[in-house]
Amino acid sequence: MNRIWRTLCVMLSLLLITGCWDSSEVNDLAIELAWGIDKAPNKKIMISAQVINPSKISGGQGDGAGGGGEGKPYFVVAGDGMNTLDAVKRIQAKLSRQVFRGHRRVIVIGEAMARQGIKDVLDTYTRDPNLKLRTDLFVVKGSTAKDLLKVSYPLENIPGLGVLGEYNQVGTSAEMGFLHFLLSATSEGTSPYLPSVSIGMNPPPQDGGLRDKSDIEGFRIAGPGIFNKELKLVGFLSVEEGRAMRWISGKLKEIEVSAKLPQEAGNVSMDLYKLGQKIEPIAQGGNLHIHVTLTGKGAIRENNTPLDLTNPDHITLLENTLNKQVEEHALRTITKVQQKYGTDVFGFSDVIRRKNLPLWKSIREDWEAVFREADISVNTKLTVRRIGITGPSLHLNPNEIKK
Amino acid sequence: MRWFKSQKHSHSGSKTDPAKPAGIPLPEEEQIVALSTELASNETKLRDTFRGCSDINFRPISGNPSVLLLYTDGLIDSKTLDQAVLMPILYHAAPASPSAAPISCQIIQEQLVAIAQLQTVTTINDVMEGVLKANIALLVDGENQAVIADLKGFEKRAVEEPAAEVSVRGPRDGFTENLRINTGLIRRRLRSPKLKMESLTIGQLTQTDVVITYIEGVVSNTILEEVRNRISRIQIDGVLESGFIEEFIEDVTWSPFPQIQNTERPDIVCASLLEGKVAIIVDNTPFALIVPMTFWIGLQAVEDYYERSIYTTFVRFIRYSLFNIALLLPSLYVALSTFHQQLIPMNLLISIANSREGVPFPTFVETLLMEFMFEGLREAGIRMPKAVGSAVSIVGALVIGQAAVQAGIVSAPVVIIVATTGIASFAIPRYNFGTAYRLLRFPLLILSGVLGLYGIIGGLFLMIIHLLGLRSFGVPYMSPVVPQIPLSLKDVFIRAPRWSMNQRPALFSGGNKTRIPKGQQPSPNKGEANDE
Repeated sequence: MNRIWRTLCVMLSLLLITGCWDSSEVNDLAIELAWGIDKAPNKKIMISAQVINPSKISGGQGDGAGGGGEGKPYFVVAGDGMNTLDAVKRIQAKLSRQVFRGHRRVIVIGEAMARQGIKDVLDTYTRDPNLKLRTDLFVVKGSTAKDLLKVSYPLENIPGLGVLGEYNQVGTSAEMGFLHFLLSATSEGTSPYLPSVSIGMNPPPQDGGLRDKSDIEGFRIAGPGIFNKELKLVGFLSVEEGRAMRWISGKLKEIEVSAKLPQEAGNVSMDLYKLGQKIEPIAQGGNLHIHVTLTGKGAIRENNTPLDLTNPDHITLLENTLNKQVEEHALRTITKVQQKYGTDVFGFSDVIRRKNLPLWKSIREDWEAVFREADISVNTKLTVRRIGITGPSLHLNPNEIKK
Repeated sequence: MRWFKSQKHSHSGSKTDPAKPAGIPLPEEEQIVALSTELASNETKLRDTFRGCSDINFRPISGNPSVLLLYTDGLIDSKTLDQAVLMPILYHAAPASPSAAPISCQIIQEQLVAIAQLQTVTTINDVMEGVLKANIALLVDGENQAVIADLKGFEKRAVEEPAAEVSVRGPRDGFTENLRINTGLIRRRLRSPKLKMESLTIGQLTQTDVVITYIEGVVSNTILEEVRNRISRIQIDGVLESGFIEEFIEDVTWSPFPQIQNTERPDIVCASLLEGKVAIIVDNTPFALIVPMTFWIGLQAVEDYYERSIYTTFVRFIRYSLFNIALLLPSLYVALSTFHQQLIPMNLLISIANSREGVPFPTFVETLLMEFMFEGLREAGIRMPKAVGSAVSIVGALVIGQAAVQAGIVSAPVVIIVATTGIASFAIPRYNFGTAYRLLRFPLLILSGVLGLYGIIGGLFLMIIHLLGLRSFGVPYMSPVVPQIPLSLKDVFIRAPRWSMNQRPALFSGGNKTRIPKGQQPSPNKGEANDE
């Protein structure tokens, strides 16, 4: 009995001696939600972090306790170093609390950094067990990451979250960005792409005039940045092209398509969900044919034509017009990527490898050239499932309506 | 666990030791003295025994021969005593009726005393015992026996609704301090000769009546035998509450979990008896003991069986989740917010960080303090006179809930956590089972403050290992889940409809296990009642 008691006491004190070594109170952490990587002189990198200032976040206890409420609930600290951790070390010297990276949601990469290549800076984000893979990577188009992190955003307390929100609204599942990037970076033929953001709600005026002050606030999702296999940024697509590209590669959740009806002098818009895509590689002689089929189901949301949509013939007409519109757009996007960048961001190579391994083995050595030369056709099958709650537009005179 | 086991061994070892340790202040066994034929000698002996007992009344009645009436004032019904005993004997002994036969015990029994329960005894000890147990004793000169008549008439509380086990639907009567009322409440519900009530007396000084009750043919004989054995081993000077007995007969003393169920409700006792359990009713307390107990019984309320099964199943799921909250919420909060901030949703983390700004204590200390205060509040609330009771809640709600948060001494999330935990712990239906969780919350909290989630998992492992090893009168505590008895699972996580619970619990009922014949599921076109 006595021995058991003694053992128990020793074990208990052991517990208390070793304990607490990595405990840290929430108010001893500098929680950062967004993180920027920039190019710095002398082959260094510059890391900037958007750190939350909890007492400035409204609605909490900090308000009453004194002082809070005014000023931004975040601030940006930056430090440079030869790699990420080296830079973090410098950042830590400027912070009274420990840098806590476990809740990072957004990593933004300055355009200069992206063009230089990000192969050397990504390791730590998958090695550190405290970091999560549910992060989204963005390229800052036309600016540095640090500048983007400094910009405030009217809707969100923490602007970094605004980037995520915007991206989510564009029709892509958020928080998968990093994972998708890693997947396509490791794939044999596919090249990765990253979404991009640019500062300001609106692009600068084409005539070179001054930007509205309110335009400098916030940021907008720009078209995706295309990377090559060296993980160097080679160029950007437009937002619309980006959507088509994500649709083809199967990462788009929803999209709105609008089209003009040539015969009727009007236009329609359709909300598409349940998007699907099918890629069929066909080897014909020495030439590679890739046949892309895009499918989608959705509802008509806007109908600026005199057509009465309760008539199935009109629906078919709409479907055909929309199909044609999407087909053209997708094909244009593919052609642009093929000719301008020559990197397979659509994931065609993965499909070929999956469906026709001998074919892939024969072409993988010079896949880029094959991809540039490939003959790609697009076929679209959109289905209208719903037409909204009216057949014809209600404001139209009955004799204007085409039954 | 080894620690617990060795405790158990040493415990039971001392129990079975036949040699009584020296120095225990128990009265030595009294010698049995037979009644003598001389009344005067008997009276001297009795007066000597009862010297200094002002409540023992000696009432000599001179006559042919003279009679001594002996009773304890305050225990007997003196009105009935006058009418049913004293008056007939006085009339009989009066000189006006010389024709009457001389008084003897036989005449007293057969003609004079109008009391149902009569008994003849032959020793002084029996007379004494009878008098102390609210009987009157009549000693007749010239006879070496005495008549003892039951004339209980002491003050007792009426049958009221039990305060600790309230139900919305169900009978409202509860046990009282009177053993016979309690057994009556049970007998009224189980009118079968198979309901047995074995009486025994425990306590050298209190001489408390204890009744072991069970249903013959339903009870498991091994459990019954074990109960009898354990109770008969008790040597104690006094039993004032059933808790005295509980501590002597439970399996493991050093366990936070109660292994014996207690209840104030006769319907719970009857339901348990019907399942094959054994109940122990102790005089002078409204709390009856029921053995064996399992873990799941601690989470079942009496109403579960009166309300419809679908609702009960829903309530049980709520209860099970609340009881997990009651056990784990504070320690989870401490572990997550000091070790694993990654696991807290981001927005929640930000608002926690916000409210923790300027709080002087570490989260662990803060939570421990608040839990401590909450337990203090609860303890204060129980003992407070009702008039002051509301002051406790006002002080608790205002001072601790609001002022402390506003002053920035504790953070709002901790107050919310502690309050939620408190509410959750009130949802555990059996009070003594809930105490186990109140108790275990603190070690888990300390473990989580030291080791984080590892500590919680380790603590839970220890708890589960302990629970799996625990037995109550030979029945595994976690049964019927571990070991799994599929038929009995109908009354654990769900509460199956009454007609489908055909079997008695397999582990603690013996003999006939079938409760309900199969095929009684109600439906509209069943039977002839529908043909009219």
